[in-house]
Amino acid sequence: MEFFLQQIMTGLSIGSILLLIALGLAIIYGSMGVINMAHGEFVMLGAYGAWAMNAFFGVGLLPSLIVVFLGVGALGWLVERGVIRFLYRRTLDTILATWGLGVMLQQMIRLSAGGELRYVEMPSVLTGTVGILGVDVPGYRVFIFVFVAALFAVTWYLMFRTTFGTKLRAVVQDRSVASCFGIDADKVYSLTFAYGAGLAGLAGALVAPLKSVSPEMGTTYVVDAFFVVVLGGVQSLFGTVASALMLGELTGGLAYLWNDTIAKALVLLAIIVLIRFRPQGLFVSRIRS
Amino acid sequence: MSNAFTTFLNNRTAVQITVYAIVCGAIFLFPLVLDNDFLLNRYARYLVLGMAAMALSLSWGYAGILNLGQALSFGIGSYCMAMALKLRTVPVHTGEGGLPDFMVWNNVETLPWFWQPFHSMPFALLAGIVVPVFLAVILGWFMFRGRVTGVYVAIITLATLVVGNLLIIDQQRFTGGFNGITDLAQLELFGIEFDAYSKSTYYLVAVCMTVCLFLALAVTKSKAGMILQAVRDHEDRVRFFGYDVAWYKVLAFSVSAGIAGVAGMLYTVVMEFASPTFLGVPLSLSIVIWCAVGGRQSLLGALLGAILVAGMEGTLSESETFLDTWTLIMGAAFVLVVLFLPNGLAGLFEMLRRRLAAQPAEKPTEGATDAAVLADKGAAERS
Amino acid sequence: MKRRDFLIGAAATGAFTAAPHIWRKDTSLARASNGEIKVGVLFSLTGTTGIIEESLNKATLLAIEEINDAGGINGMKIVPVVEDPASDPATFAVKARKLVVGDKCVSVFGSYTSASRKAVLPVFEKRDNLYWYPTLYEGRECSKNVIYTGAVPNQQQDEFIPWLVEKFGKKFYLIGSNYIYPKEENNYCKKLLEELGAEVVNEEYVPLGHSEFSSVINKIQSTQPNVIFSTVVGDSVVALHRQYRAAGLDPDKMPMASLTTSENEVAAMGGDAAAGHFTSAPYFMVHQSPENERFVEAYKSRWGGDKVTHFVSEPSYFQIYLFKQAVEQLAASDIDPTTIREAVKGQELIAPQGKVHLEAENLHTWLWPKIAMAKSDGQFEVLRDSKEWLKPEPYAAYPNQHCTADGLVQS
Repeated sequence: MEFFLQQIMTGLSIGSILLLIALGLAIIYGSMGVINMAHGEFVMLGAYGAWAMNAFFGVGLLPSLIVVFLGVGALGWLVERGVIRFLYRRTLDTILATWGLGVMLQQMIRLSAGGELRYVEMPSVLTGTVGILGVDVPGYRVFIFVFVAALFAVTWYLMFRTTFGTKLRAVVQDRSVASCFGIDADKVYSLTFAYGAGLAGLAGALVAPLKSVSPEMGTTYVVDAFFVVVLGGVQSLFGTVASALMLGELTGGLAYLWNDTIAKALVLLAIIVLIRFRPQGLFVSRIRS
Repeated sequence: MSNAFTTFLNNRTAVQITVYAIVCGAIFLFPLVLDNDFLLNRYARYLVLGMAAMALSLSWGYAGILNLGQALSFGIGSYCMAMALKLRTVPVHTGEGGLPDFMVWNNVETLPWFWQPFHSMPFALLAGIVVPVFLAVILGWFMFRGRVTGVYVAIITLATLVVGNLLIIDQQRFTGGFNGITDLAQLELFGIEFDAYSKSTYYLVAVCMTVCLFLALAVTKSKAGMILQAVRDHEDRVRFFGYDVAWYKVLAFSVSAGIAGVAGMLYTVVMEFASPTFLGVPLSLSIVIWCAVGGRQSLLGALLGAILVAGMEGTLSESETFLDTWTLIMGAAFVLVVLFLPNGLAGLFEMLRRRLAAQPAEKPTEGATDAAVLADKGAAERS
Repeated sequence: MKRRDFLIGAAATGAFTAAPHIWRKDTSLARASNGEIKVGVLFSLTGTTGIIEESLNKATLLAIEEINDAGGINGMKIVPVVEDPASDPATFAVKARKLVVGDKCVSVFGSYTSASRKAVLPVFEKRDNLYWYPTLYEGRECSKNVIYTGAVPNQQQDEFIPWLVEKFGKKFYLIGSNYIYPKEENNYCKKLLEELGAEVVNEEYVPLGHSEFSSVINKIQSTQPNVIFSTVVGDSVVALHRQYRAAGLDPDKMPMASLTTSENEVAAMGGDAAAGHFTSAPYFMVHQSPENERFVEAYKSRWGGDKVTHFVSEPSYFQIYLFKQAVEQLAASDIDPTTIREAVKGQELIAPQGKVHLEAENLHTWLWPKIAMAKSDGQFEVLRDSKEWLKPEPYAAYPNQHCTADGLVQS
């Protein structure tokens, strides 16, 4: 029983990191149809933001989260205004443009912060382990789980219970009709993109204490995030949650049974089959495209 | 401007064939002005990469299948060739006829069964084409029967590529793992030895490239090619006309895979080894990028795009001045191309042709309708 | 001299009539000329292993500059041709080819990963050039075209494993990245453990670049080994250490023992995550010797006070001096890869780690193994200094194979 719980916890913590990284992408892709290959670089910038706040200003991880969110969000806004908005009519091309942006962001970081691997110190209050149902779980992983849950709640509220969310959903459904009703579609889109980028930044800052921070770190994350979002269903926030947790449990379990290589391969095969038979995603939202 | 010339310019196919022939001719004449084996090898490498991009243009530009796993076919081709050439080297450790060196390092006792047939070069050459095609047919059938389109195709092909890459690295005992298969013999065909750094290899690549290019061109000009373009633009309409859309897509997907397989085999000959990076995600994305820069809806455009971008990368990354900034420059150039040249460099050429021929610029959607109308006609003929 | 030239000429004419392109290869035999000795420097400056390889590039250039400033070799300057292979094995092969065939370098110093070494090896063997490889590696290679100045498994493990067993216990957990280096190190480790009557509770490999170690840590917790023998490399090692620490595991009871964690990796993961874990290598930055003080001082003043030296940059540095000693033996007209190889056999010098010796039989180097514990300030504390230098045995895990000057011998 204890072993089983341990496994569930491991899966949850892998899943919560996947969700953390995929959430920003889900919003940008789900509502705007933009395939943001620079998402991984936003994650990377967030991690570097947390590192820089600590290295240059001595600020701990938790306070710097606010700065990272606003900073990466602002950059996202610039990217949307400067590049993405010209591409809404041909969304597949956004893959290419954002890929170019990602390459540039990587090199900018390499030139300014250096290419060395960096690390971010874990907040000291979270270094211990927590006993949950008799299983010892790293405190920091519990924190990530709680934080992601909160972030998801906020995002859901924003999308479905605020005027901004209503406007966004209106624009997503029919941009021209929404515009006729006086909704500034441009503004709604750029704010959404900024919010998604900000979430990616947060994700980067939060995973940094568990992983290494380097200019190339984003590339693996963006691929994983895509699998999560597409599997979950493009316009369904709950689908993203479900697919992240499912992939987390699956990876954790298979890696325990065999090893991480086999786990990764089997999870990918599962994704291929699932997308083939449910291309609309595991959970279809009721929003019509 | 003379009348005949304008008429010629108005015939799109004629212009196309002429331009293709001129470019191929130039590629063949190139070694005459460049007598440097080192540079020849480099250009042969660019030509091979160009072939991979051209193959992608066939499935992406003409059939709308965004294949992010193009490097899988490329890599399989490359490994087939490497296996055959590896069996032709005399291993340092085990002597004539012994096991390949990396198998000895991995404590493998006997040559595994799937290595056995690679003693035969014709088998290897065939395998380098047939295996990628076979996999493409299966994967294509699996995807297109289920009417998987757009970004989902991209995700599935990407996932397949990652699985392939993991397998190659994990099965170190049989594939050399992360190190790849190194120390290969030189390819020998019809009594000619193909040294990677010689004109012979360059010409081998040039011949294969030309054949594949015109083969791909023939496919696009065939009825199937027309239907594919119609599918790209209005899949449902074509389906309503009674065409089995899935099989047309499988056709484009597998021809593309076959050409990529040939390119992969040549890549091993040119690079003198095979590595899991040949079926890596970065290479696969690069192929997409080259294709987009050159113009995905033009086979030649994609080919030249790859040569241009890979060549620029090579030159910039080697120059003192741009050592730090070349990735920035490439990234920025790329964003600009996407923003201002949606059809890539080939789009620029097409614009020029139309201007010279004094044709009104066509909107892309009209081109699409052309193809749909054609498919319509085809359907009428059949009924 | 005259006779040799004649023989080459005769061979060349003979070959010319048979196959023109073979003839072309022979003329491109690299050779020093015009008072310049051209050497290649082939370390990635960009890409995934760019950072660590850049430090090797710096150590190499430092030694070359020092030698040139002191008057060069017999009055000739060493001219380094620096290439960036961008962490990509394919590019490594291309650049190696350029250095050997295009630039006609008489030697190339380079590379870090096993994959890149394997990729360039055929280039050097086919043209009988010389490659100087400073990195510790898995052994089992017997090439007369490579000078190996890094450690092979027996030089890192022979003292380390018995020491670990004695100090912590007999249950070992082997974890490594999924490629040949970790697998081969583990083969030797298992051989030693068997001789000591110790037990391997699990042997596992994670994909390169892997960064999620929850499952691995789960398994470690459930198998409760005494020692975690880690050959995880690259950014994975940072993730493993940081997640080990987050999981509340204790280095005093279950330390990680590594062959690849150097000052560089410690700086990347943070001293706190590294503290208490062990590494065995021939060199640590804190090593006490006048030669090392001079090396560290010179390195910092040339490349910056915050830079660290480590067990791969040290061989990168001293192998240039080995090269110098070898070339000094040669007449200015006779400097080519084959003569350098003959001259370097048996050369000795006092390197920062101690006196090293280039073994004439297998072209590997006699080194001084040390065992050290990482501290939270980012440096190591050397706990055990080998009393004598250790002979390089690239085939230590395979007692019936021996690398000799004539190639590999089976017995």
